[in-house]
Amino acid sequence: MKNNYSCHIYMALIIIGGILLFLSKAAHAATPTHPSLQQQQISGTVKDQEGVPIPGVNVIVSGSSTGTMSNLDGEYSIYASVGDTLVYSYIGFKTFIVQVTETFSGDITLHAAVDALDEVIINAGYYNTTKRERTGNISRVTAEEIELQPVTSPLQALQGRMAGVEVIPNGNIPGSASTIRIRGTNSLREEGNFPLYIIDGVPINSIPVDSNSNLTFNGGIDPLNTLNLSNIESIEILKDADATAIYGSRGANGVVLITTKKGISARNNIQIRAYTGYSEVPNRVDLLGTEEYLNVRRRAFENDDVEPTVGNAYDLLVWDANRYTDWQDVFFGGTSEVTDVTLSSSGGNKQTTFRLSGGYHAQGSVFIGDYNYRKISAGAQISHKTLNDKLSLNLSLNYGIDKNDLVGYLNMTTYAFELPPNAPSIFNPDGTLNWEDWQESSWSNPYEGFFNKSNTEVKNLITNLSLDYEIFNGLNLKTNLGYTNYDGDELVKRPQRSYNPENWDNIENRSGHLQNNRNSWIFEPQLIFNSEFLKGELSILLGATFQERTTRQISLYGEGYVTESLIGNLNAAENIRSVSYFNSEYRYNAVFGRIGYQWDNKYLLNLTGRRDGSSRFGANNRFANFGAIGAAWIFSEEAFMKKLFPVISFWKFRGSYGTTGNDQIGDYGYLDAYEATPGPGGLYPTQLSNPNFSWETNKKFEIATELSIFKNRIDLGISWYRNRSSDQLVGYPLPAITGFNSVQANLPATVENRGLEIELSTLNIQSKKFNWTTSLNISFPRNELVSYPGLEESSYANTYRVGEPLNIALLYSYQGMDPTTGEYTFVDVNEDGRYDYEDRQYAWDRGRQFFGGITNQIEYKQFSFQFLVDFVKQEGTLGLFNTGFIGNQRADVLDNDTDYQNISQSTSSRTAYNNVLNSNFPIVDASFLRLKTASLTYKLPNTLIQEIGFTSANIFINGQNLYTFTDYKGLDPESPYLGTGFTQLRSVTGGIQLNF
Amino acid sequence: MLFGCSVLISCEDFLEVGSPDYSINTDVVFGSDETAKSAMQGVYNQLAESSFSSGYTSSVTMLASLSAHEIESILVNDQTYREFEINEINPQNTGNFYLWSSAYNIIYMVNGILAGIDGSENLSPSVVDQIKGEALFIRAFSYFYLINLYGDVPLILSTSYEDNATMERIATSSIYDQILSDLESSLTLVSLEYNGGERTHVNRSVVMAFLARVHLFLENWDEAETYSNEIITSGNYELLDELNNVFLANSNEAIWQISPLGRGAISTHTYEGAIFVFHPVIAAITPVQLRESFVQGFNEQDLRFEDWIGFQSGRDDYYSFKYKIRYSTEPVSEYSMVMRLAEQYLIRSEARIMQGNFMGGIADLNRIKERAGIPVLGSSISNLNQEDLLMMVLEEREKELFTEWGHRWLDLKRKNLASLVLSESNEFWEDTDILFPIPEEERQKNNMLTQNPGY
Repeated sequence: MKNNYSCHIYMALIIIGGILLFLSKAAHAATPTHPSLQQQQISGTVKDQEGVPIPGVNVIVSGSSTGTMSNLDGEYSIYASVGDTLVYSYIGFKTFIVQVTETFSGDITLHAAVDALDEVIINAGYYNTTKRERTGNISRVTAEEIELQPVTSPLQALQGRMAGVEVIPNGNIPGSASTIRIRGTNSLREEGNFPLYIIDGVPINSIPVDSNSNLTFNGGIDPLNTLNLSNIESIEILKDADATAIYGSRGANGVVLITTKKGISARNNIQIRAYTGYSEVPNRVDLLGTEEYLNVRRRAFENDDVEPTVGNAYDLLVWDANRYTDWQDVFFGGTSEVTDVTLSSSGGNKQTTFRLSGGYHAQGSVFIGDYNYRKISAGAQISHKTLNDKLSLNLSLNYGIDKNDLVGYLNMTTYAFELPPNAPSIFNPDGTLNWEDWQESSWSNPYEGFFNKSNTEVKNLITNLSLDYEIFNGLNLKTNLGYTNYDGDELVKRPQRSYNPENWDNIENRSGHLQNNRNSWIFEPQLIFNSEFLKGELSILLGATFQERTTRQISLYGEGYVTESLIGNLNAAENIRSVSYFNSEYRYNAVFGRIGYQWDNKYLLNLTGRRDGSSRFGANNRFANFGAIGAAWIFSEEAFMKKLFPVISFWKFRGSYGTTGNDQIGDYGYLDAYEATPGPGGLYPTQLSNPNFSWETNKKFEIATELSIFKNRIDLGISWYRNRSSDQLVGYPLPAITGFNSVQANLPATVENRGLEIELSTLNIQSKKFNWTTSLNISFPRNELVSYPGLEESSYANTYRVGEPLNIALLYSYQGMDPTTGEYTFVDVNEDGRYDYEDRQYAWDRGRQFFGGITNQIEYKQFSFQFLVDFVKQEGTLGLFNTGFIGNQRADVLDNDTDYQNISQSTSSRTAYNNVLNSNFPIVDASFLRLKTASLTYKLPNTLIQEIGFTSANIFINGQNLYTFTDYKGLDPESPYLGTGFTQLRSVTGGIQLNF
Repeated sequence: MLFGCSVLISCEDFLEVGSPDYSINTDVVFGSDETAKSAMQGVYNQLAESSFSSGYTSSVTMLASLSAHEIESILVNDQTYREFEINEINPQNTGNFYLWSSAYNIIYMVNGILAGIDGSENLSPSVVDQIKGEALFIRAFSYFYLINLYGDVPLILSTSYEDNATMERIATSSIYDQILSDLESSLTLVSLEYNGGERTHVNRSVVMAFLARVHLFLENWDEAETYSNEIITSGNYELLDELNNVFLANSNEAIWQISPLGRGAISTHTYEGAIFVFHPVIAAITPVQLRESFVQGFNEQDLRFEDWIGFQSGRDDYYSFKYKIRYSTEPVSEYSMVMRLAEQYLIRSEARIMQGNFMGGIADLNRIKERAGIPVLGSSISNLNQEDLLMMVLEEREKELFTEWGHRWLDLKRKNLASLVLSESNEFWEDTDILFPIPEEERQKNNMLTQNPGY
């Protein structure tokens, strides 16, 4: 039987809409009309604190439709009566309200909004709120804070800036996707933990795009790469139930809202900004030099009483004992240049505003070889309002093209540590790969594959048209029409000369072709109703979503090209094979709503809900309901508080509870279907079908308080949350006798994320010439697998433990050295005389104990200085202590060699070394404190620049990752496994910004 | 009004998405003859890829040959294959798990086909018969190897994972009953000729040849002789005098072969060639070689030693050279052999000897020896008893069928000779080693599964 429940919901919606219509008319009728007093013309100038006129300030007579806007010189004039209230508002400034008196001059000074409670509009997705009124938890970062950072994806700029938001880069190649976790890991499935990305109201598929290039080692391609950081107005992150439940089944992992910049009326402006600079790997691991290394190797042979032969000691017997290469320098010692140019123009009048922008970003690489990342982006925002202000329209368009040229498919970093310091050169003098000198070794040449090249090109369009029609005062009909198109095209060339000539019989000139297309549209009609109701303000939102997303992937493989120059031209390939063909269609349909009520400026209630339908689930489980309740009490508004504690300017308690869901599971998982076999003409089932699986649910709870004292000079926010995810959608493990090893099903396992987040900002000094603000955020997250019935029998038996975080590694417990053999020993838990997974019972939490960031913004006269320090408390591991085997090791190992096992390369010592790497032995503290960004801007004096014709001009320098404080001896504590990985480059850039 | 209209346009229907281009719903698959045949072709294709039947490193061919001491592992740092070679298989051994699970995956596929064609009304009867017969045969074939390697195993005849996930092991004899019943049904359903002309599809001869083998294992000598006799006298098969041609695609000796083209890759030659034939330069990438002791058993003039065993002078080592192509960009010319006429001669020989027809048995044995170019048994051997003759047949089976589908391992088991023979080359041999362990992972997921003794 078909489920028609959702249709009923629509009927109900329309009825509610009708009631609303009636209500608002009633409310409208109840509004008292002003006594008609004699109007007078008020004229004046609006200036900022420094006396500079502000154009484009909105001036309205409160409660009427009369309004105007200041001109380029900040001048305005408006008709109003004595007793009317005038409201002056402008983005970035505190709204100024004044009652018209007989003597009112009309000249106004607006004050810059320094983290003001009311004035900063916070985007909550379908509606806006303010810091004062919000009942949920939303973190916000603005353009000024991030736009100077030389990063590819906007997400990378968020590191350390928001409480509860972890951004962990997966790689060191421009364009690779970072992992972002908002309040921890909710799903047992790695691929079920992506947050929802929304750009200007349009959802973007957040799953990294596949690649056959080097990017696969680095987490895939970030789908947000093509955005220009300079076009972003703000990034909001929705965290708790109150904020995310309106996103229903897609809100479980949090929501990232990216809003692009809009034009500002009467502020015609053209801006050019350009910067350039360089990046490098800031650190090296201290490894052994040739002589020390060879000594260790000789001792291994002495200790083992083994005669060195060409087969087992080519580094001693064949290779030059006087040669030394710093392989880290060779592999990643380069300098990468970065260049960024952005041109933007904005302006308009009261009816129409626009903003146009274009950008170019280019980045090199620290690795040797031809790496090149280039991005061209274009953005447009056009807003128009009819003369009667009834209908408004906003078009936002973001388009970007990026090209990523990489050396194809080889992992550059690991060899930098493994190779003996006296290993021969990689290239022959003529530039070809040197095979001859490496032939005795177990590496055929570490750069095998070096001449492979990949070219990945992405074209990405994200656009949204929104229409807003005021049916009557207080009731608006709004519609979003969004469209996205992502086109990725990749060619990997693998010429024969990349490989050892000995294997050329088996290796031909080859090419890999990969096309990814992601296409989506969304239609979201909404009714918005705002009215005064009793002693408060009521706002109601009702909406519906229709969304369709299609995904397509084609992967081809060509081989047998006669010459290298033909590689990639499929016409010239002897054989063409289809590696994969994949397409899918996802449809999503929902109704959602919000009722917000504010009573007497003190009590706030926010109800949000959504009913979702998704094509990812079988007919029985296609719909589900989600909802949340949020409430706040502005304690400081109570009369006694104002009297007793005047020093407290704002104090709020708030809390929220609700459910969200997670539908991040592949499309068609429920279908009982056959696919084509790789061989010709055949069909076969590739999975067991379960038509009954459904959403993962996530129940979120939060309580928080926000406190401001000394006229908002100190702002403190403390939140405590507990989120529980259950009905985990996992491959339910099955014995292979069923035909497969698992079936997709909801498991009653529960994952809990709880934690404390503290945000503090202080206005340390505020004067005409000197301003200093500091803000700090710190998060203490805790993740725990609360229950998992049948864990022991599942395929996760050796991955997870009930009562421990998801992010554990199960390790051997190190027990010390065996006194007779001098080798590492471990606790043999089951006492069966051997080490296997059953003995790996040491659960090591790889997560962060706490993390956060401190930002300082200092302004002195024409200078402004901003820096961010981020810090993480965590553990990591440190490897590279393989005393005796072929391969280099850390220099400090020799200094404390009693900590390490005997120098030997016997089979048993090799086994012991492999085991010790999987024990708690190499765990060390990997906490760090890093000067993440620092930028200094000098604003050229007005007198100088205005003669040339600019309105303003800045020069700036910016540094990234300038210094790191850590005890960790590996390359980068942000990649704290074995010490051989790095994700962060040190960059210094400088540039200029001109405004016309 | 606009708003009201827009939400009413569609609700439930909006969420109906068709199946993607790359998949076909099961009811559609069994809705037409063509797609139903494709599902059966899918089974044949997957036999070329499926671990137990592919001839690759976790196949019956590889692992049972290791256990029977025909071949040994030469990979550095290998544990997986060495465990089979020394008959000390860890229940967590991945090769063992792949073999087991892939056989049940094939069983799932054929059970799905049997259920699909049963529930369909649109298929023509002749197509239903042919597909059903082929599917029943593949099921019987898969169970035959499961019980011979593991002893009692769960008998899965449906696709319901809810029911099957907790199945217990069933006595080998009951499974043999199922195998015989499947094969006998199959015999009445499949066509006489090879479908499509290639010897890769199951026809009546394939079913009969396998029935001969199953009856031999069940010691039903009469039936074993009858079925093998039918094959030998059918005139469709011959023992090729040129040994180097036996394993070619559709060779006249082949009764059933698996085409490696079913794997669907470029330059796909047999996996047996890929793992047995030594690389001319880098021998170390070959996983196994023939054991010295096995090679020494051959007579110098034996053409099988000459043609089917390769010698790598650099390493001074022997390798199985029945398949000639290790890697090549030329079109596929060899198919993976599952059953061939020589085995039928040896089945009839053994069945005749066991029924007291020594002369007939010797004649069959001599056909094999003759072809191998080694001295035949003369008429003066009438003083040989049944036991001696049987041992001669087994020895001939060893030399004829080495590194093909574990014949030696299965022979040692059915004749209870494993302990006697293998303890000579393995001082740690235990009687319980004759069965592979039930994979540990399986037992963790299905606690109804017991472990074989000795593990």
